[in-house]
Amino acid sequence: MAMESPFVQAEMIEATEFPDLANRHKVSGVPQTTINDGKGHIVGAVPEANLVAELQRLL
Amino acid sequence: MPELLNDQIKAQLGEAFAQLTQPVHILFFGTKEQCEYCDDTRQLVEEVAATSEKISVSAYSVQDHAEIATQYNIDKTPGLVIAAQDGDAIIDYGIRHAGIPSGHEFSTLIQDILLVSSRDSGLAEATREFLKTVKEPVLLQVFATPT
Repeated sequence: MAMESPFVQAEMIEATEFPDLANRHKVSGVPQTTINDGKGHIVGAVPEANLVAELQRLL
Repeated sequence: MPELLNDQIKAQLGEAFAQLTQPVHILFFGTKEQCEYCDDTRQLVEEVAATSEKISVSAYSVQDHAEIATQYNIDKTPGLVIAAQDGDAIIDYGIRHAGIPSGHEFSTLIQDILLVSSRDSGLAEATREFLKTVKEPVLLQVFATPT
């Protein structure tokens, strides 16, 4: 998605190296996708359409 | 430091990267102190890059190159930007890695390199159409663990 839009940044984070950030976003299961610093969370692998739906709901 | 990638993995990477079409440039950002995995991460991406002439790496310190770190929105180390290279120009697609890309994250790094080289997101038409309508910053942070 980051490739398709100059507004989207995608960051893959190694949770154990950044425990404060992982705790702040209450990461319990991985992968967890956090949108805009906590506006939305999706736990588990996300099908493309679901992520789009979540973004449409949040933006 | 001994090599992180063994011959078998290097051979597999060589095979996977045979399909790389366009150049990929990886920017590495590290800190001098209190960064347990910076040295390993830098070495890892340099070893990965050495398996294909289509992949290059540049390395920066967030202290010595604060402007570049800010330009690329780097607030964690080790930090990686998986970018495209077009001649002398670096094209930033907004793809980042924070922390050492080992275990599962190593596969993600390789997938990102393949994706950026292809210059094609592979997303569905509907997704592409939706993304064209996005006019505000969106930060997707995917948390993962090595195991």
